[in-house]
Amino acid sequence: MDHNGQESGNMEEVKICDPSILPQCPDHTDTDVPSENHCVNEDHRTPSDPEGLLESADHSSEQDVLPQEPSTEMQKLHVEDDRSLCPGGSETDSGKASQDSALVDNSNDDSGEFVVTVLARGKMEEQGMGMKGASSPLSETGTPLGPPSHRNEDVTADSWRQHRKHVFVLSEAGKPIYSRYGSEEALSSTMGVMMALVSFVQSGDNIIRSVYSDEHTVVFMQRGPLVLVSVSCSRQSEQQLRNELVYVYNQIVSMLTQASITRIFEHKKNYDLRRLLAGSEKILDGLLNLVDSDPSFLLCAVHCLPLASSLRDSLSQILQKAITPNLVFSILIAKNQLLTIVQEKMVIDDARLEPADLHLLLNLIGASSAFQAGEIWTPICLPSFNPDCYFYAYISYLDPPECTVCLVLLSTDKEAFYSVAECKRKIEEAMQTQNALKSIAKAQSYSVSQVGVSDLRHFMYKPFDVPDNHRQLTQFTSPEMEAPYSSEEERMRLLDLYRDLHGRIHSASRPLKLIYHVAERETLLAWVTSKFELYTCFSPLVTKTCAINAITKLLRWIKKEEERLFIRYPPKYSTTPNPSRSSKTDAH
Amino acid sequence: MNDEYYLELSENPVQFENASSVNNVFFDEANKQVFAVRSGGATGVVVKGPDDKSSVAFRMDDKGEVKCIKFSLGNKILAVQRTTKSVDFINFIPDYPHLEFSHECKTKNASILGFCWTNWNEIVFVTDQGIEFYQVLPDKRTLKLLKSQSINVNWYIYCPETAVLLLSTTVQGNVLQPFAFKTATMSKMSKFEIELPAVPKPAKLSLSERDIAVATIYDQLYVMYLKHHSRTTNSPGAEVVLYHLPREGTCKRTNVLRLNTTGKFAINVVDNLVVVHHQSTQTSLIYDIKLRELDGNVNVHQPVLPARSINPFKIPLTGPAAAPSQAPLPCELYSSSWSVFQPDIIISASEGFLWYLQVKLQPTLNLLQDKGKLMDFLLRRRDCKMVILSVCSQMLIGGDKGNLSVVATVFDKLNQVYKEYLDAEQAYTAAMESGPSRSSAYKRPVRTQAVIDQSDMYTHVLSDFTEKKEVKHKFIIAVVMEYIRSLNQFQIPVQHYLYELVIKTLVQHNLFYMLHQFLQYHVLTDSKPLACLLLSLESTYPPAYQLSLDMLKRLSTANDEIVEVLLSKQQVLGALRFIRSVGGHDNASARKFLDAARQTNDTMLFYTIFRFFETRNMRLRGNPGFNPGEHCEEHVSYFKQVFGESAVMKPTTA
Amino acid sequence: MLMISPRMASGMQEKQYTPSLLSFFIYNPKFGPREGEEEKKILFYHPIEIEKNEKIRNVGLCEAIVQFTRTFCPTKPAKSLHTQKNRQFFHEPEENYWMVMVVRNPMVEKPNKDGKPPTVEYQEEEIIDSVYGSVLQQCYSMYKLFNGTFSRAFEAGGVELLTQKLEKFFYRYLQTLHLQSCDLLDVFGGISFFPLDKMTYLKIQSFVNRVEESLSLVKYTAFLYNDQLIWSGLEQDDMRILYKYLTTSLFPRHTEPELAGRDSPLRPEVAGNLLHYGRFLTGPANLKDPEAKFRFPRIFVNTEDSCEELHLIVYKAMSAAVCFMINASVDLNREFCEKLDSLVGPQLTLLASDICEQYNINRRISGPEKEPQFKFIYFNHMNLAEKSTIHMRKMASVSLTSVHPDLMKILGDINCDFARVDEDEEIIVKAMTDYWVVGKKSDQRELYVILNQKNANLIEVNEEVKRLCATQFNNIFFLD
Repeated sequence: MDHNGQESGNMEEVKICDPSILPQCPDHTDTDVPSENHCVNEDHRTPSDPEGLLESADHSSEQDVLPQEPSTEMQKLHVEDDRSLCPGGSETDSGKASQDSALVDNSNDDSGEFVVTVLARGKMEEQGMGMKGASSPLSETGTPLGPPSHRNEDVTADSWRQHRKHVFVLSEAGKPIYSRYGSEEALSSTMGVMMALVSFVQSGDNIIRSVYSDEHTVVFMQRGPLVLVSVSCSRQSEQQLRNELVYVYNQIVSMLTQASITRIFEHKKNYDLRRLLAGSEKILDGLLNLVDSDPSFLLCAVHCLPLASSLRDSLSQILQKAITPNLVFSILIAKNQLLTIVQEKMVIDDARLEPADLHLLLNLIGASSAFQAGEIWTPICLPSFNPDCYFYAYISYLDPPECTVCLVLLSTDKEAFYSVAECKRKIEEAMQTQNALKSIAKAQSYSVSQVGVSDLRHFMYKPFDVPDNHRQLTQFTSPEMEAPYSSEEERMRLLDLYRDLHGRIHSASRPLKLIYHVAERETLLAWVTSKFELYTCFSPLVTKTCAINAITKLLRWIKKEEERLFIRYPPKYSTTPNPSRSSKTDAH
Repeated sequence: MNDEYYLELSENPVQFENASSVNNVFFDEANKQVFAVRSGGATGVVVKGPDDKSSVAFRMDDKGEVKCIKFSLGNKILAVQRTTKSVDFINFIPDYPHLEFSHECKTKNASILGFCWTNWNEIVFVTDQGIEFYQVLPDKRTLKLLKSQSINVNWYIYCPETAVLLLSTTVQGNVLQPFAFKTATMSKMSKFEIELPAVPKPAKLSLSERDIAVATIYDQLYVMYLKHHSRTTNSPGAEVVLYHLPREGTCKRTNVLRLNTTGKFAINVVDNLVVVHHQSTQTSLIYDIKLRELDGNVNVHQPVLPARSINPFKIPLTGPAAAPSQAPLPCELYSSSWSVFQPDIIISASEGFLWYLQVKLQPTLNLLQDKGKLMDFLLRRRDCKMVILSVCSQMLIGGDKGNLSVVATVFDKLNQVYKEYLDAEQAYTAAMESGPSRSSAYKRPVRTQAVIDQSDMYTHVLSDFTEKKEVKHKFIIAVVMEYIRSLNQFQIPVQHYLYELVIKTLVQHNLFYMLHQFLQYHVLTDSKPLACLLLSLESTYPPAYQLSLDMLKRLSTANDEIVEVLLSKQQVLGALRFIRSVGGHDNASARKFLDAARQTNDTMLFYTIFRFFETRNMRLRGNPGFNPGEHCEEHVSYFKQVFGESAVMKPTTA
Repeated sequence: MLMISPRMASGMQEKQYTPSLLSFFIYNPKFGPREGEEEKKILFYHPIEIEKNEKIRNVGLCEAIVQFTRTFCPTKPAKSLHTQKNRQFFHEPEENYWMVMVVRNPMVEKPNKDGKPPTVEYQEEEIIDSVYGSVLQQCYSMYKLFNGTFSRAFEAGGVELLTQKLEKFFYRYLQTLHLQSCDLLDVFGGISFFPLDKMTYLKIQSFVNRVEESLSLVKYTAFLYNDQLIWSGLEQDDMRILYKYLTTSLFPRHTEPELAGRDSPLRPEVAGNLLHYGRFLTGPANLKDPEAKFRFPRIFVNTEDSCEELHLIVYKAMSAAVCFMINASVDLNREFCEKLDSLVGPQLTLLASDICEQYNINRRISGPEKEPQFKFIYFNHMNLAEKSTIHMRKMASVSLTSVHPDLMKILGDINCDFARVDEDEEIIVKAMTDYWVVGKKSDQRELYVILNQKNANLIEVNEEVKRLCATQFNNIFFLD
């Protein structure tokens, strides 16, 4: 009980301060979101707004002044709070611009640091909790691959070398930013070499891509001021490794936004970005573990929990009903799988939530047990949507203490915490009345045996957007991994086989339509058509005729189960307060 | 020098009382019997031969000087000629009266030159005016004339072997008229003329019976004419001219044997070799009319070997006179008292010996350098096997190591004979199977010593040759391959042990790549044993595994072996795929494969195999479970233990 | 100069450039360990024109890459470096001796309007590492065949001798590299064996044995017909590279003076009269010539253990070629060559016509081959046997392949998959062009089939391949 008390106490603090933490955010959102969406909040617009990013960048950099003032964080925050609240804020901004730059020069390298303070502090508090508890909450997501000790591994030991996949992030100046295993300090020289290689090749008006040895594939990728390197013996294709690095990059962006990263390094080449990411390595660790173990990343599609369409619809309706202005996405998640997602119509019209962004979101949630305690209100950037602006995510589990069903509400308004929290309560009520939680608890992934083909061991099926619902979120379905893939190693092996097929069939230079591979321990068949993408795993003793029949049977089965396996038509709602719009919505 | 003599006299000669004033000695070529007639038979007649043991002795009244005396075949009836008009007969058939009876020749004032028995009771009188062919009726003690032919006769020669009688006719006597005899019949064969070196003027008898011999060589009847050296024709020396005398058709002059010298000669035929003895040099020459060096229409032959004397003969001292201290005294060879009879008989009347002339092959090895010729020669001899084999070993190991091409020719010659025999065998058995009716035509081919088969070659030559340390392995392999090549050339299936030999040698010197290439071109014919041998090499030479699997596959009768091999290599999936490809998976033993899968400690593999059989059971019996008979219980429980109950296939699925 | 590949699309004036050799160098870090001495490391550098510091820089990069990868696996350093414009291949054939080959990626040159310089687009995924990796290894093996190992030259005459040898050899050899036409067969480096009946093979055997007996100087012999191997006394690996040399370099340089028709069986008398077609492909061009030189190329075999240096005599009659290898310590004179000529010439002429006859008989039996529905490559790692209907003729210059380069690359990809595990595997893929490509691996054997029945399905394709195996590979154990 006492513990709980502590938690809630913490949460209080979070709750209270969170909304006020980010002074510049309103400007951000006000400038960013509209720039995405021309019709929303027309009236709130200030003339200067349309200039967009540059403006908001100034705003944030302008804040650089403040930390210099000797003050506790709390004070600081409140000061900021006041400032940002003052209506004239936006006017003064432009005036401040020149002064900023002047200040920046003599200022310590804190530029843009605030952007992450929320997340960072969030973490710090967790760690605070963690100290009371056995271990830091993030470590709970640790897979065998990543016990927390990885940070201080001996980088000269064989055990370190033998890791399946290393990932390094460094700045153009060669400063370490992140290493999946081993401390950045210990690896600074290695990272130095990496950077040297990159720039040497660059100096020859060329670009380094990768290095191959019998054991490893080393992939280099530069994104703005950041260099990402993957050293893997997983035999994945270069393209796949590159995509994984993009995820890593985007996860960082989701915390900092691309704009500020650029800005930071513009101001200070050899800035140590770890200061901003302090504590958030675990999110990257979690991401990398997920990337290795969850095919969603490979397929760039969302895995949603099979659910009777009636139940899914009623859930969607619940979400549709619980809305508030500037709420753009309502997402219901169970067991880290998507239950349903409801989107603001206007947003949908020309943009949509990319699977990639959803993955980052899910990782963020999964990576932090802190979210399991009460409610969280935190800014997050969805890079595929817009790498330079924040959304505000309201995250709360609906079924404590099990914490399997999680509600995520994304708003464009940093002030909307209370109204959004209100939505959550509505949703909770509605679900209680419908006893939805119970039925959700019953819902679970299915067994391949239900398809009824004896030699079929596993499959992944990804339908492509078809014209009539081209707005649909890309999804895939796949049964539980059962015997003989019960062990962690076997699962990983099967995934690697899938990765292989995927890499080959989607090869940039030599794409294929079909692959039938009688491998050492299974027979695999990959098939890509204009309608779908299918990966199947059979017994190695299956005959070709058998396999072909199995595929036909499987496709028929999926068609039959479609409604249960996929979100067919993602519902939409309208939150626009302005009448013209509402009238339109009434028309529905 | 002893190994130089290639001719020898039989070591136990037929001994008889030597000719003297009181003891006349006669020889009957037909029965190979020597008659010693003491004082016209009154004091007894001793008949010896054909070997030292057999002898007959009897008395007969002295009715005057005996001209000729011979038993009919089987010593049934004795015929004695004392006058030129008649021949006397004595019955020797048991319980027949032992009384003499006589018969005169029917032709008026013709004088009998002699007679010869053609059967146990048929006899031919040869008179100066023709021949009279009689049947003797011992019980009636009379003769019945069967046939007669009148023709002027100078002299005659009878060849008992073929029952052919040669009559010398015309003034010069060089036109020979042959007659052939068969029970109760006499047929006249076409006559022929012997070419004389010079035709004398005026014509006079110029062909003597001493210069003519008749014998069968290689189953053919030949008339051998000793053609003396003539000043006129500048031939280097005397020759022996052979006339082939076929049963039907005309007699042809076929071979000429060059003697390259002059003097007194005598001819024998031993083991199908013509042996010419030369008295003055006390040496003999041998000729093989099948060793042909082409020269015009007839084959002119040189001696096969350099002239050599007959192996000196020591007279064994026998009887009471013999004292152990006394060394046996050498007997004079080529003595003037020798008389030579066909085919291989030499008689020394003065010393009372009858020898059979024999050819020793061993010495020929060193006397005949040309190994090919030597083989041709040896392959036609009676007791050649061991000699041939020793020639082979000698040419491989011996001092005068023949080079490969020689080895090759030798092998080819041997295998030719070998192949001919095999074909004959095959034809015979084929005929046998095709039914006895036709088979009567065939007679089982006789296997002569000349047939040297692979086991002979292996046991007596190759096996210990390949053991020889001093021989370079390159040569060893070359030789064995050469032998295999030769066998293949004659389409003789090669025996496994030869391949073993090759492989053993190659492996000994780890010439695996060589072996690999041989197998690649199927030089070593496929067989299960060979495949197993290869398999056993895998540890030292991994590729052998693939090679042996290929072989088993080609045999197409070795599917079980293949499965075993694969399983032994823990290739459980491979084994199962294979058995499926040959359609055997429905009755394959689940137990066997599950055991194998278990042994690999690869649970994934075990799962696969287990599932495979579950599905099979499903297909066959509509139920994935195993029958008690399959004894898979422990595997089932292991499966559950590893993958859980739920993983076991439900009868409903699939 | 750049080869323009057949893929250059006609009509539009966009230019396609095939891969080409940018540079090739050999260095040994131990030779210039100290600062400022870097140049000493470089033993050979092509092209020579490159400015010194540039050379040093490029060598430096390679060292860095290798060092870098060693931090992750000390025993398995980098094999290749991929960049936008080129690929570099690293090979350390002997300790501390590094060979590096830099190949420019194929590229497309798209002309721009209004006189802007054409935009160049590099095709970064076109080059297959395994193929060019083996090409680099082949470079070494070929050098070793004619010069022995690097360290041997170094021990003999220090860096001077080594660099001399390297320049002498690679100057010529690099010109014979045809990077645009490298493919899977370079990975295999296989030997094509001449199909022959047992009897004729045995004849050849005894021919070889007899010659070796009568010419006792001869240490090893190899026998080829129609540029295909029939017998090798050399060990497999040495034969492999020698075969490569013979078939891609020596034979093409000596195109048949005698008409092909000559190979028709001839009457034994002809050979009897010593009227033969034998001639030396190495050494004296014409024995009659009083000035004739009796110098033969030296080769090195069994370099792992004994390392023997040998004269290489290649003697040919019609389509039959024999290599006689003789210890280099003996010097070969006119008498020997004449003896060899008179001994081998007639026999070889006779054999050649025998083989030809046999070959024709077999051909007649197998019937006239009509263009089949498929093309295939077969390779057996066990004996390096190679069979290909894809390469019409592997010439010194280019190997004319009859299939689209992309399909060849797919073969390369499949081969890489096979290289990973030693279990039996089978891969069937359908390309974008609807061609089917099948790869089968059974024990040590690999078979690749390209089928152009575009609308066939997987099962039909499987049947087609089964049929192929039944006809072409009936006599070997091939799991399906």
